[in-house]
Amino acid sequence: MIRHLIISVTVITALFSTGLSRASYRETFEKEFMLSPWAIAKGEISACIQCHTSDSMDTEMQQLVRDWRLSWHAKNNVSCHDCHGGAPEDASMSMSHQRGFKGSPQEIDIPEFCGTCHIAIKNNYLQSGHGKTFQESAEGPSCITCHGSHNIQQASMDLINEQLCTKCHTYDRAKEMKQALFMVESKLNNINKDLKRLKVLGIATDRQEKAYFRNHAEFRTLFHSIDVDAVRSKSSDYSQSLEIIESEINESFKQLAFRRNFSAYLFMIFIGLSIVVFLLSKSYDPQDG
Amino acid sequence: MWARIIHWIEVRIGIEELINKHLRQFRSPKGATFWNTLGFVTLVAFIVQAVTGIMLLLYYIPHPEHAFKSVQTITNDIPYGWLFRLIHNVGGNIIVAVIIIHMVHVFLRVSYKRPREITWLTGVLMFLLVLLACITGQLLPWHQTGFWQTTVTTTIPSFLPVIGEGISSYMRGGEFVTGITLSRFFSFHVVILPVFITILMLLHVILIRRQGLSTSPVIEPETDASPPDDFKREAHPEGQPCFPHFSLKRLFMVMIYFTVLFFILTFFPNLFLPPEANIQADPMTTPEFIRPAWYFLAPYQIIKTIPNDVLGISLLVIFSVVLMFWPFLDAKDAGRNIRKRPMLMSLGLIVLALWIIFTIWGMYS
Repeated sequence: MIRHLIISVTVITALFSTGLSRASYRETFEKEFMLSPWAIAKGEISACIQCHTSDSMDTEMQQLVRDWRLSWHAKNNVSCHDCHGGAPEDASMSMSHQRGFKGSPQEIDIPEFCGTCHIAIKNNYLQSGHGKTFQESAEGPSCITCHGSHNIQQASMDLINEQLCTKCHTYDRAKEMKQALFMVESKLNNINKDLKRLKVLGIATDRQEKAYFRNHAEFRTLFHSIDVDAVRSKSSDYSQSLEIIESEINESFKQLAFRRNFSAYLFMIFIGLSIVVFLLSKSYDPQDG
Repeated sequence: MWARIIHWIEVRIGIEELINKHLRQFRSPKGATFWNTLGFVTLVAFIVQAVTGIMLLLYYIPHPEHAFKSVQTITNDIPYGWLFRLIHNVGGNIIVAVIIIHMVHVFLRVSYKRPREITWLTGVLMFLLVLLACITGQLLPWHQTGFWQTTVTTTIPSFLPVIGEGISSYMRGGEFVTGITLSRFFSFHVVILPVFITILMLLHVILIRRQGLSTSPVIEPETDASPPDDFKREAHPEGQPCFPHFSLKRLFMVMIYFTVLFFILTFFPNLFLPPEANIQADPMTTPEFIRPAWYFLAPYQIIKTIPNDVLGISLLVIFSVVLMFWPFLDAKDAGRNIRKRPMLMSLGLIVLALWIIFTIWGMYS
């Protein structure tokens, strides 16, 4: 009887682990539903980086990759082909124009080049004093004058500084701009810090992060306008909208405080119960048994 | 009226009889201490895990696109969802710690010897299954920490010759950690492992009830003169009734378990949830540091330290097998008092010390 049972179980297990697991419906299910979006892409190797870091390249070309690796783009997975086009997965076609390779832009094409992704900022820049001068003379400040070309860092108010601005003009007006932007910028920085802290503490901040990102991106467009009065009037609007995010953040911190207090309350209850039970157990004389 | 209700229930269920038979007549050994209650604490901790796990299951969605979001919803939107999640998370770690301390205690008391070999074996098997439950559970929230810890953990068996790749591939359901791994781990975590752990736990408890709790070899000299093939239950006539004496000791240790649990929840709620545990799993972004959970740091560091992967994994497999069958290896009648067995004591303490050293090393390497 037991022998028959064991044989049956073995046969059923073998069937399940070999035949049925290879059934075609399962393969289709795995490929189309489960595997595709989550499998690690094979061959995620960029031909651009391989070639530009090889010894056959001169130092200047190798430096481009080193600079990019330190950039905000690299931190956000924006790779060579996202700006320069081409086919990074295929070394032989990586610089093919048929595969969308754009190479390095001409000086005059830089705003268009960067504006492929940064659309709103590009329009804002082109309407600004900087942009107009650039379009008229092709010599004014373009994107890379302030932001650099490969070691591009996260845009912040620190970019408005005497050293950079005085390359082309005096610092007075830029300083006035910086002062007008300061309050909102510091609010944004605080919100960003708080959101990161809340996230580490396990609070879902998706909605606030989206609102922050929207405000942050829109506020950044003001940096390019170089119109101090416009900046001052719009800053108060941003302040109000940021206050809504701040109040939600405060609510989250209150929720964290409640969690801590509630846990502390339970902790105290169990300390009390431990003492009571301990004394009770000691009250029983071992000789009783 | 009240007395009549009690009587009505008593006639049908016989609670008094149950208490008498299983708690008053069942006696704990003379000199039983709080250390003897750790098995019971493990049982309570397991029930806590089961209850909180069921609560989490009400809202959890085992799918790569929804798992992280559903856990976030549990933690942030469901009333007191954060409490159940944190208890389950911290409780899972405490249960491992309690089992380890329980096993060390049983080893040092040499309580695994005849007739308790199978009790020890079921205990070690349960411990290994609890570790598997921890491994499978850490992937379920589909966060960066769990995803990459699973990637590392499921790579370790692949070092085994011949069958290693097969085991890794079976665990992952393919070459990489994917949605298949998640659904596989989910079914193991919520159904298969709890069922096996419960069966082993029942067996463990039945064996303890049959054999009686083991006497401390230091307090009560060994008097067992029965032939090897005869069974003699340790009735402990000089001991105390399990209820209320020993039950109060158990209850006290359960209170300590909850105190430790809520101490961690109050002061270190994110002790077992590093910052990456709040980021959705991203197979394309490897975190800067990937370390397994604290209870896997020692084997992880052993494999890292030994240059030959096959040798490293083989050592761990041999250690697990030796641990499981230790009562059969230490079968000769050399007595149960470990103080009179310096070799055994040295062996136990050296293994324990090495384990601690490798854990600390793994933490800082």
